[in-house]
Amino acid sequence: MKTVIVRPERCVGCWQCRLACAVEHSRAKNLVGALFEEIKPKPRLRLYPGRLHWAFPNKCRHCDPAPCQAVCIAGAISKDPVRGTTDIDPARCINCAMCAMACPFGVLTYAATFAAPERRAVALKCDQCPDREAAGRLPACVEACKVGALTYGEVEDAQVDKGRALAQAVFASYQAAAEAVPGLPETISLWRKLT
Amino acid sequence: MRYVIIGTSAAGLAAAETIRQRDRQGGITLISDEPHLPYSRPLLTYLLGREVDAEKIFLKSHDYFDRWGFEPRLGAPVLKVKPESREVHLEGGETVLYDKLLIASGASPRLLGIPGEDLAGVYTLRNLADVENLEKGLPPGGSVAIVGAGAVGLKAAEALIRRGNRVTLLEAESRPLPHLLDQTAAGLLHQVLTSLGVESHFGVRPVGLMEKKGRLNGLLLDNDNTVTADAVIIAVGVRPRNEFLAGTGLDRPEGIPVSPFMETGHRHIFAAGDCACAPHFLTGEPAAYRIWPAAVAQGEIAGANMTGAGRRYDGILPRNSISLKGVKIIAGGLLEPDGKDGEVFNELDRSRGHYRRLVFQNGCLVGVTLAGPKAADAGIYFQIMARKVPVKDLPVDIRSAAFHPGKLWA
Repeated sequence: MKTVIVRPERCVGCWQCRLACAVEHSRAKNLVGALFEEIKPKPRLRLYPGRLHWAFPNKCRHCDPAPCQAVCIAGAISKDPVRGTTDIDPARCINCAMCAMACPFGVLTYAATFAAPERRAVALKCDQCPDREAAGRLPACVEACKVGALTYGEVEDAQVDKGRALAQAVFASYQAAAEAVPGLPETISLWRKLT
Repeated sequence: MRYVIIGTSAAGLAAAETIRQRDRQGGITLISDEPHLPYSRPLLTYLLGREVDAEKIFLKSHDYFDRWGFEPRLGAPVLKVKPESREVHLEGGETVLYDKLLIASGASPRLLGIPGEDLAGVYTLRNLADVENLEKGLPPGGSVAIVGAGAVGLKAAEALIRRGNRVTLLEAESRPLPHLLDQTAAGLLHQVLTSLGVESHFGVRPVGLMEKKGRLNGLLLDNDNTVTADAVIIAVGVRPRNEFLAGTGLDRPEGIPVSPFMETGHRHIFAAGDCACAPHFLTGEPAAYRIWPAAVAQGEIAGANMTGAGRRYDGILPRNSISLKGVKIIAGGLLEPDGKDGEVFNELDRSRGHYRRLVFQNGCLVGVTLAGPKAADAGIYFQIMARKVPVKDLPVDIRSAAFHPGKLWA
């Protein structure tokens, strides 16, 4: 099953993914429409840039088994057997924050949404853009990411890639005078030097 | 293999589903004294406050038992368990035989033991039937006294305000949620209660219930004051439901003693959830904390071990999340450090309603309280607590105001 893969070392903290996410989860599904909506759509992933100079795109990992599902007292959280995602049903969510207590990654936000009955505040998190997936498109955050910090693919493939990159890095370090840090694009390493 | 489970709430269902995932053939019988499909008890106060519709409290669909291959015995209270002959006797004369038995019978509300508790107008709030009774008996707009400012009492107060009742909250301790919150967090909660319009009195306990024409009309307090009320809800905690185990040695008042494998002293009998007395995650002492996440975790472990998995339960990490009028407070672990190596860190921003309190002992995080918008990060602190790692070994100082989790995983 495909999922959004995060490479925090590539993230520059530009927030484009947050904007794209909010737009995707608006009623209008476009930026101009979203800006004028009565209930402002909220992004479902967080970045922690700023003071610490360490941007980290933090979003739901769609764990299996999901700790949030086990503690949900409203029966609002379920696993999608086909997509492999952990989904929150806004019609059942009671905004009790039990899931925030259980999520080891702190990815939940509580805010009003047009998708909930009476536009109540409910728990919001990544749903991996089901409408886009149905249309064969990439999740909004992946489409918006310009530096390859967010990609869409199989976790196993990403693990194989990462393992290979690590093996190459180790190998390269045995070679005389390893030149560059592997896996880091030149633009990013230059940017890191600037800051 | 014949598996029998007494109780169809959080622990019972978690166990049943775990057994089925590991044993496709075995017969699984689920016994409950309630006639309804499995429902969520924590949602009852939301049902009372008409925040959720009646059908939303049910956690499973009508075909749930068939789909999972469970044999339900609903509306059948257990009279007796006989460990020697491996029998469960149900009301109505039926006897169910078991190879492995799980007791997940839960708990029932404690009463105060004061005169007048049998009057019309005195309620508890634990079962769906209790909400039905309240719906019938509550006079619209009438005044209601709630005894006990625990999670049930607080949510019931919010629900009754939504219904247009006048609410008086009485608590014997000096603050709401006294076992979970410190003075400051409890103060924030008290502010929310006041803004809801709840009149709360702390440090008082009722000593008698007054009657007028066979109905309750008020409470007499230990400071000689009286509170008039058309109804009273007693929410002073629960006691484990293990009366039907009389004669087996498992009917202890604090709960059924269990090993870290969720086994009782009897071979083939396991216990999980509110009726069991499992160890505290941090102190290792048997602890009577009755929370939904612990019930699910214990049910999963008991279920797996009934099929021979040999999984160990780490213990209950006491924690709870209370959300009143949209204000969230999440707290857990130890409230105070014990011993001289303890340290408490506080961070309060009243204008933003933000409060963060961390309790350290021997260099490890052992307690956390979060209120306000940052309460959503609570799981990260609980994860640090569960790992039991010294905080100085973490790549980032969790005390710092700029603490963010990115550095933990980088």
